[in-house]
Amino acid sequence: MRLFKTVLAMVGLMGLFMVLNNNQGSIPPLAKFLNPFAGFWQNGTQQDDLPEVLDVKGLRDVVTVVWDERQVPHVFAANSYDVYFAQGYLTARHRLWQMEFQTHVAAGRVSEIVGAKAIEYDRLQRRRGMLMGAEQTLKMMRDDPESQIILQAYANGVNTWIDQLTPATLPLEYKLLNYEPEVWSTLKTALLLKYMVWDLTGRNSEMDLSIIRAALGADFVKAFYPDHTPLTDPVIPAGKPWRWDPLIPDEPAPDFEPQFVKELRAHEPDPDNGSNNWAVSGKKTRSGSPILANDPHLGLKLPSIWYEIQLNTPEMNVYGVSLPGSPAIIIGFNENIAWGLTNAASDVMDWFEIEFKDASYSEYLYMGEWVKAEHRIEEIVVNGGQTVMDTIPLTRFGPLVKYGEHQLENGHPVGLAMRWIAHDASDEMSAIHSINLASNSEEFFEALDRFDAPGQNFVFAAADGEIAIRHNGKFPLRAQDQGKFVRAGRDTTGEWRQFIPTEQLPVISNPWRGFVSSANQNPVGKKYPYYMGWEYDDYERGSRINEQLSDLDQISLEEMQRLQMDNFNKQAEKMLPFLLAQLNDVTPEQEEIINELKKWDYFSDPDSPQAWVYKQWWLHLERAIWDDDLDLFGEIRERPPRSVTARLLRDNSRLVYYDDINTPEREDRQAIINRAFKTAVNQLMEDLGPYGESWALGQARGTDINHLLSVKGLGRPGLRTGGGVGIVNATKKTHGPSWRMVVELGDEPRARGVYPGGQSGNPGSAFYDNAINDWVSGNYYDLYFLKSPAEAQPQKHSVTVLRNYQ
Amino acid sequence: MITILSSLVLVLFFQFIFFAWWWAMLIPLALGFFEKDSVSRATFGSGLGVAILWAAMGVFKWVSGGEIIVERIAAVMGVGSGVVLVLATSVIGFVIASLAGYAGFSLRKLLIKEYQIS
Repeated sequence: MRLFKTVLAMVGLMGLFMVLNNNQGSIPPLAKFLNPFAGFWQNGTQQDDLPEVLDVKGLRDVVTVVWDERQVPHVFAANSYDVYFAQGYLTARHRLWQMEFQTHVAAGRVSEIVGAKAIEYDRLQRRRGMLMGAEQTLKMMRDDPESQIILQAYANGVNTWIDQLTPATLPLEYKLLNYEPEVWSTLKTALLLKYMVWDLTGRNSEMDLSIIRAALGADFVKAFYPDHTPLTDPVIPAGKPWRWDPLIPDEPAPDFEPQFVKELRAHEPDPDNGSNNWAVSGKKTRSGSPILANDPHLGLKLPSIWYEIQLNTPEMNVYGVSLPGSPAIIIGFNENIAWGLTNAASDVMDWFEIEFKDASYSEYLYMGEWVKAEHRIEEIVVNGGQTVMDTIPLTRFGPLVKYGEHQLENGHPVGLAMRWIAHDASDEMSAIHSINLASNSEEFFEALDRFDAPGQNFVFAAADGEIAIRHNGKFPLRAQDQGKFVRAGRDTTGEWRQFIPTEQLPVISNPWRGFVSSANQNPVGKKYPYYMGWEYDDYERGSRINEQLSDLDQISLEEMQRLQMDNFNKQAEKMLPFLLAQLNDVTPEQEEIINELKKWDYFSDPDSPQAWVYKQWWLHLERAIWDDDLDLFGEIRERPPRSVTARLLRDNSRLVYYDDINTPEREDRQAIINRAFKTAVNQLMEDLGPYGESWALGQARGTDINHLLSVKGLGRPGLRTGGGVGIVNATKKTHGPSWRMVVELGDEPRARGVYPGGQSGNPGSAFYDNAINDWVSGNYYDLYFLKSPAEAQPQKHSVTVLRNYQ
Repeated sequence: MITILSSLVLVLFFQFIFFAWWWAMLIPLALGFFEKDSVSRATFGSGLGVAILWAAMGVFKWVSGGEIIVERIAAVMGVGSGVVLVLATSVIGFVIASLAGYAGFSLRKLLIKEYQIS
């Protein structure tokens, strides 16, 4: 009996150990997590304390860090090794879990952390060739002595911080998920940069358009998916002449209908990843100096995507935001120049159907011959499960993302390969480092020549008065519509054999109108000789910015802040009166709403119920027109751009597509406009009650900034925001301006900025989400551009000296 | 009382050598093993010692910079209040330590008896 009791007690104890030391489903390991000596209790604001002196192994000289009241580090180092070492160390101090987790996401290694539920994600991520591209890039960076030093210095800094961690000081998320950080390798930086390429170029509609063309005809695609959308004011004014001899692209490939009918759109980046940027010449500003503004629109998460920092060496003094995990500053300014980015949205991802000899996928048909496909073996390690092996056949058209499901009539299996710019080696980190150092447009554009991906509209302003914008990146030289549809990867048509030379990229400097701007719209008008893609953003944001900048004079930083927060809904201004005029047979309640809409000033402010009614009405209208026709092979395919739908509605009362093919009646324009209005309003009444405050945009939609893991309690939901799609203030439910920056150059740069989060990634820190309320309200912070640590003001700053110890 | 104090002080002491929650299991196991007479002392004494220590440390961390993290974790766990987190911490500590104390005591009884027989 005693033996039995003892054995039972010991087994029970071991069982308890196992249960409380390991995650149980989504529940963290309770004993580890609740233990007050090393569990979550240790992740409080004591981690915010900044020591006066830190002994750090690996520095070459003393580094002085001035911290401002928002814990932005201003790093003063004697050499570039130390400055990037310190950047790595300090970024890891604030953001280690985020930067490491993002590289796991990029590399397709999420299963290692969360287990079997992420296997399919990991498999897809690897088949896309992300890891392969990062390896190529890393090799290139290592071949460049300067890049190698920067990368290694940063990694050494991160690892120095990792070495100093204890179970108590481990970031909270490691405790929640029960794992530990690994050594920071230089590959992780390459992965992070490739992940940004994914986020900004990883979405395209080739599969959808191929399917739509096959089902509804080439004329349908031509009419409703144009290369140049109506009303677009391109990034480079359409009248600009191009004074060079263009290269001749290959002949367009004949139409081709792929075997694959299911699209591959799982885990695609947000379609509205975009941004605004502009620069105004001194002729239009109050101070006489140029002003530059930028607000990149990305998924809004906590910890924030950006980390604010100033980096100073004898050769460089630069301030801005960096990506945690990558050295240098991505968007910012120095004493002489400022720059900002918006997504180029030109097409750098193409899909090809490849014909294989047999199910071994080792030979494919190219130019009439069987060509060998290399096989890359991927090992997906799974937490709590068996390792999964995956084979990726590699072709000259890229890795095979999907295969094993379809075959041709001749019995040959087919696979879908993806050619993507991120597969190529490119050293953007070195380009960004050179931008950080640049003092004039010549040096800036030289640096841009080495920035391949993601393609961006780089806006530029210099203290000497120059302003410019370049649609920059490595863009394939395309035949008309090449890349708009899936191609047959059987010969050279559609292959990426040449790229647009950098000197022929769309660019403009010091235009007569006194400003340059971009908002992800088509970079060029029809005069530009090359086809670069078609999936650009609609005209609204770009037009509004250009109208405002044309009208404004004596511009100040405050006015640029106001423009970034501008909630004017151009689409509503254009469409609402027309749509309202179509309504008939309405109930008294609907009549009341119509009257309110008639009073609307078209500003999608947080308090505006009309903004939300209009938004819902438009959504229902788009669905009513297109979804019955585009419901192909079990999914609603890509709808035409908003401006195309809007033009159709205004110009065409009897389009065949207005008719809902699922109803016996034949609907015309008026019928669907009425139906969409009534459906939207009824739905709103059902969800939100009678028309009133609960319908206000900021309440009915608002913004949720969730934690990267979507853990409830670690995010900031329910923020009362305005703006939306097609509005300069492009704030949406979970997406929007991830950094707002305005800079005035002159004798001294003057800058303000804000991002929705805080410097610390620790949810228990006072600096985790401290800037969110100001971001919601449109308040900006002064960005202290210090020239030396001596400028630190005791009431605003504290100082940490990093010393080397052996 | 001695067991409660021993458990509390020893677990606290060993935390300073190495951060690990399982000191709260290992030390009560040892204390239970060295407890000659009372199974309840071995079990509840160790359990209470750790329960008090973990609750006190939890409260200390809460009031010294832990306000934000406690509020957030209460929301993550869906418990609404930091008091519940302190109680949960204390209860987990109690369960771990008391079972370990009991197991240690049982082991001793088993081994000592076997020793006497041989």
